Amino acid sequence: MMKELRFALYATKKNIQGSAELRTSFLTNIAGMAINNTAFIIIWVFFVKSVGVVNGWTSADIIGLLGFGTLSFGVVFSAAAGIRKLADYVANGRFDHFMLSPKNLLVRIATSSFNASGVGDIIFGIACLTTYALLIHASIYQVLLIVLLIAISTIMFLSIAVAIYSVSFLFTDANPVTSGLFELFFTPSIFHGGAFHGVTRVIFTFIVPSLVVGALPVEIVRNISLEKLLLVSVLSFVWFFVSLKLFSMGVKKYESSNFMTFGG
Amino acid sequence: MNNDSIIVSSLSKRFSFPVKNQSAGWVKNLFVPEIKEIKAVDNISFSVKSGERVAFIGPNGAGKSTTIKMLTGILFPTAGSISVLGLDPAKDRKKLAYKIGTVFGQRSQLLPNLPLTDSLEFFGVMYDLSDKQIKIRIAELVELFNLGSFINQPVRKLSLGQRMRAEVASSLIHKPEIIFLDEPTIGLDVVAKKSLRDLLLKINNEEGTTIFLTSHDVGDIESLCSRTIVINHGTLVKDLPTQELARSFIREKYVDVTPEKTFDSFPELPSGLRYAVKEKNKITVVVDIEKITTQEALRKLLNVFEVDDIDVYNTSLEAVIRNMYESNPPRS
Repeated sequence: MMKELRFALYATKKNIQGSAELRTSFLTNIAGMAINNTAFIIIWVFFVKSVGVVNGWTSADIIGLLGFGTLSFGVVFSAAAGIRKLADYVANGRFDHFMLSPKNLLVRIATSSFNASGVGDIIFGIACLTTYALLIHASIYQVLLIVLLIAISTIMFLSIAVAIYSVSFLFTDANPVTSGLFELFFTPSIFHGGAFHGVTRVIFTFIVPSLVVGALPVEIVRNISLEKLLLVSVLSFVWFFVSLKLFSMGVKKYESSNFMTFGG
Repeated sequence: MNNDSIIVSSLSKRFSFPVKNQSAGWVKNLFVPEIKEIKAVDNISFSVKSGERVAFIGPNGAGKSTTIKMLTGILFPTAGSISVLGLDPAKDRKKLAYKIGTVFGQRSQLLPNLPLTDSLEFFGVMYDLSDKQIKIRIAELVELFNLGSFINQPVRKLSLGQRMRAEVASSLIHKPEIIFLDEPTIGLDVVAKKSLRDLLLKINNEEGTTIFLTSHDVGDIESLCSRTIVINHGTLVKDLPTQELARSFIREKYVDVTPEKTFDSFPELPSGLRYAVKEKNKITVVVDIEKITTQEALRKLLNVFEVDDIDVYNTSLEAVIRNMYESNPPRS
């Protein structure tokens, strides 16, 4: 376990160094993503100001929602950006290299790439959650809940990403399918939380668990709801183990290919 | 004690994929495609002793890479069994990875944007070497592979020859017992090829590393491998010492004849002999040794021509291998 962790941290460090070698691209990616997210939050805050509070959701809640969403997205797709490349790795045969590694296959793949724009998401997510905590005058208890829910939503995000990109093993050129599935999951996760009730809330909690990433954590912090905290914890861990199973089943279907590739 | 590093028994690998049915419409082809199955590797068995240098050769699509991928745990066999250093690659992939090294000539495993030294260090950490062990091993490899002049250069700026040396060095960071090389000299110039071959011989001699290599380059096979296994259409065609490969497959000899003055006419040759080159200052005659002995062929040629000099030689190994591939047509 410690050896896996040592390697994962080392690989992430080398990925950041490798990415930072291309300085302009590195800095532009980070700044670009922060600006993109800021524009997005301005739109939502103005929307809430125009239509008023919807199902108890204020503009502060929207800031919290985007904080959880972008932070989990940033953490997963910066440090574990390799997951998003799985379809390409499988299609061009670069997956072979990872199969030859003595390390855990999923860790090796996740840490095979670094996405600088994810750092922009992380910075933005932290800024949003800090603002959210200040706006709702969060108690110590709520601050601790925010920290715990960051971990839970990141685990859920990682699990769904692994499950979706494991589809890459099933057929060639899976990029359009994985992108579609990912949008199906991610778009609702940063959508106004007040819009989901009844059947849509059930679907986007239990079938496509988008609400576990942002909307439910905000409601948990706002209402200090331990029932919902238990629900998102259980769902995250169930999806975590399901995604590991899907990934290992996918690996067994891997059929290599012989395109020329470059890079570790 | 059994010193076999690799034992392969009745190994097969089948792939299936959809094929277009010309008589069916595009809708049927899209939703209910015909599935074709190919046997990439078909019931092959062989073993490799510890410290051996084996060439695993065959034409494109023969099943070489598929076999190497099964030996290293990348692909799972459809049938048969594999033991590499006592481990089953399909079940013990991670354990096996600590004991083997791999180089794929068409794929780089190095970190392109960082100096080469970072890639070597990266693999050291991946194989759980301590910082001290990594430092010592990098120093050994830098000296062995003469990497000193470009160790601090980003990998993407290395020449192909330098990169291949670096690839082999990085695959040896953990002192593997076997190194699998899939076309390691592809695209290299003659100097870089020789340098890489010399290095591989050196690690075989000095570190006892077993070498299992696929290549289309006859030079790799002749200068590096003491044994050659030939595979074609997924089946094992030959398995013999490389030196015997040429001898046992030679069906023809070549005779260069230099005239006393010049050749003015080219008379018809006896059965078993044919012209390969017809020039005024030299002819080359191909002797079919299944029809006529070399001695008899020379006697007949001396009767026909006024000869100043004569030179008899064998077909090149390349021609032998070409004939072998061509005489083993695909199965229907």
